[in-house]
Amino acid sequence: MTAPRRRINFGFDRFSGAYLWVLFIVVFGVWTPSLFLTSSTLHSVASQEAIAAMLGIAVLVPLVAGAYDLSVGSVINLSTIVVVVLQTSHHWGMWPAIFVAIGVSVVIGVVNGFLVVKLRVNSFIATLGMATVVTAIQEIVSGESQPLPPVSHAWNALTQTKVFGFQIVVLYLIILAFIVWWALEHTPVGRYLYAVGGNPEAARLSGVNVDKWTWVAMIASSTICGIAGVFYASLTGPSLTFGSSLLLPAFAAAFLGSTQLKPGRFNVWGSMLAIYVLATGVKGLQLVTGKQWLNDMFNGVALVGAVAFAVWRQRVAGSKPTAAPEPSEAEAQATGPGGAGSTREAVPASQHATAAGPDPAHVQSTAQ
Amino acid sequence: MTTGASERSAAAGLRFALEVRSLTKTFAGIPALSALDLTIEPGEIHALVGENGSGKSTVIKILAGYHRPDPGGEVRVGGERLVWGSAESSSALGCRFVHQDLGLVDGLSILDNLFIGGGFSCRFGTVLDRASRAAARAMLSQVGVDVDPRQLVGTLSPAQRTAVAVARAMKDTASGAVKLMVFDEPTATLPDNEVNQLLQTIRAVAARGVGVLYVTHRLDEIFVLAKNVTVLRDGRKVATVPVASVDRKKLVNLLVGSELDDAHAESVAVHTERGGPVLEVEALTAPRIDGVSFTARAGDIIGVAGITGSGRETILGTIFGAQPRTGGRVAVNGVAIRPSRPSHAMRSLMAYLPPDRKISGGVMTLSARENCSLSNLAPFWRVPWLRRRMERSEVASWFARLDVRPPRVEADLATFSGGNQQKILFAKWLRLGPSVFLLDEPTQGVDVGAKAQLHHQLLGAAAHGAAVIVSSSDADELVAICHRVLVLRGGRIVADLSKGEITVARISGESLGAGAPASEQEVRVG
Repeated sequence: MTAPRRRINFGFDRFSGAYLWVLFIVVFGVWTPSLFLTSSTLHSVASQEAIAAMLGIAVLVPLVAGAYDLSVGSVINLSTIVVVVLQTSHHWGMWPAIFVAIGVSVVIGVVNGFLVVKLRVNSFIATLGMATVVTAIQEIVSGESQPLPPVSHAWNALTQTKVFGFQIVVLYLIILAFIVWWALEHTPVGRYLYAVGGNPEAARLSGVNVDKWTWVAMIASSTICGIAGVFYASLTGPSLTFGSSLLLPAFAAAFLGSTQLKPGRFNVWGSMLAIYVLATGVKGLQLVTGKQWLNDMFNGVALVGAVAFAVWRQRVAGSKPTAAPEPSEAEAQATGPGGAGSTREAVPASQHATAAGPDPAHVQSTAQ
Repeated sequence: MTTGASERSAAAGLRFALEVRSLTKTFAGIPALSALDLTIEPGEIHALVGENGSGKSTVIKILAGYHRPDPGGEVRVGGERLVWGSAESSSALGCRFVHQDLGLVDGLSILDNLFIGGGFSCRFGTVLDRASRAAARAMLSQVGVDVDPRQLVGTLSPAQRTAVAVARAMKDTASGAVKLMVFDEPTATLPDNEVNQLLQTIRAVAARGVGVLYVTHRLDEIFVLAKNVTVLRDGRKVATVPVASVDRKKLVNLLVGSELDDAHAESVAVHTERGGPVLEVEALTAPRIDGVSFTARAGDIIGVAGITGSGRETILGTIFGAQPRTGGRVAVNGVAIRPSRPSHAMRSLMAYLPPDRKISGGVMTLSARENCSLSNLAPFWRVPWLRRRMERSEVASWFARLDVRPPRVEADLATFSGGNQQKILFAKWLRLGPSVFLLDEPTQGVDVGAKAQLHHQLLGAAAHGAAVIVSSSDADELVAICHRVLVLRGGRIVADLSKGEITVARISGESLGAGAPASEQEVRVG
């Protein structure tokens, strides 16, 4: 193709995260080089965020297909408890325990898919309900007390081996991200998922089996959570509550990622970038100030700020209208975005009963 | 800006309602509008015509403060300079816009629609009904309609609704009077008999000294309405001419160059050996469809006509499986097609272009390439990758074949103009090499040039042995391309017209149930 390529190749809209990352590294590197510019900072940030990043990938898959999975926090928690309880209370071997923990997660994904596809419950509601149910199951399984961590060399070695100084869980994350990236970007499956997320009716009329792929996306999400739960248990030990605290960061990563690399589209590497940019900033500030609340503050501010920035950038560029006409101009009927903007908004909103369909464009429009 | 310049333009403002100087807008390096100059005097009706993608909507969006143009140009409204990218500025200077989507609330009265943005006559926070009604009546009479303001907007005719929107737009704001009214294809969805009423409304607006920019695809209206006409092609102004100095043929030539004549000639030259039956539809029933049977042969181009509600809008979707079928049989080359299973129909090489490309035709958030290839990804899938280069080159070749502009296969579908989007969706189905190609309103909202191009492709598909079935509310279109026209009424086929019988009059007559026009009246079993 000799056709003109997209004009912006290294523009701020696609790579704002990367520039921000460089900025953080430079600022904190200058500020507190002895603490920040060390390999241990690098290694600890990488492994601390690995599980959250896996959850980010888990929520991303259904989001691509236009569905929310809010049960990810509960599923990862249940998986953690199951894999530990089976080993410590029931004296199962490590591999059977892992197998069952992931199997349980797959089943939850199947149920989620059933609720969404067959019973036509809105995915937001279905998975929100499911999250609560799964939390209850987790309490039954754990007997409401935190189980002891399994004691075995193989169990610890699962995630605590080092590769080039990094915990091996970082490598697992990279492998997982690579697989999901491949599936979403380089296989027909991914194309179908994006089509379903973009416009389910048009996808159906193009011969795409919308129900099947929605279901597959829900199962994939839960499965990834199950795997991530096993890693968490091995890495950190069992916890009854950590899952819910990962839910917002996971969605933040997915939505923030949709403003990066491929703006307007949920994408794996954008989410990875987002999660590590935030983690770097938080880490740097914590090293400088020693304050723990920075994490929440930073994540929230960065999410809103980055999305607002992307919206502004796109509006100035004008090449991709996403802005909706302002209500105050109904009278003058000032020109709206013609087909483009309104469709991006209207289609997912009407096809999925939620007011806020998980379309990145929607998030950006709403941000105005 | 120097004082001299502002004085000069203040003087110019007395002469022009709108003054556009060397307005340029580039999207991602592609010029959408190049150095446009345009002036409209107060009270002048100025028509703006051009194919889809010629830059008309870019002009409107700049005027509305939605797009910021490239530096260099300027726009003055009533002599005041428009601030780029500011809808507030546009509104404050007196620009008003009436779109196809009127932005009226059907469930409210005319009165409420007129004043909902403010302006009710109130005392102590209570709306004074009588005073408001009188004000509403005055506003309506300004635009030449006489209806009770208490009537619900939902009960009005399309032309009356447009008039209400115009009346609302004509309201003066605190910041000043209305100087420029832009109409963006207001008649595109109006029935013919309502167009005249709307044109009256527009004349009434102009008569009040407001400059009118009138954007349309319907050339006939220009001749009865406008004083001057500006023609855009590929973002450039081809000409601004007084309407009195051109005729229809000359205007069409300005619009599309020679393209139209060639393509149209081909459309008319209908031909082909008819092959064996490809599509069989037997006793098809569905909501609003009451036992339809017909057979289509290879090479056929069959039209489906009928008024809204006759079953014309849903029959093709029902055959394909987009909408549920309650009974009957559909078969392609002898293979029965299951109801409500588009993927199954596609396996038998049945293709279906839905009527609304935004709602059900295209995935606007995906690129043109991804939309085009979605119908069949198998040729590009070699484990473990989708071969993007193969995909891109195939889509690029379709772009060339259908003359899609701009030729950017990686751009989002949403960034293309309507006609080009439709071409891309055409390509999506043509690449399957369909045996049966069903098209619902294939050229609605598409400009003249793209329409000819699409018709040309449709004839090509038939020549390659497909049975092509076109459902259209545009009788002219059916007359131009079909060998056979089925007219639906009340969910049944009431007429099966073959070559010699296909005329606009005949199609409309049968559709309305008035029978054939008097001149060709015939006895039918009723």
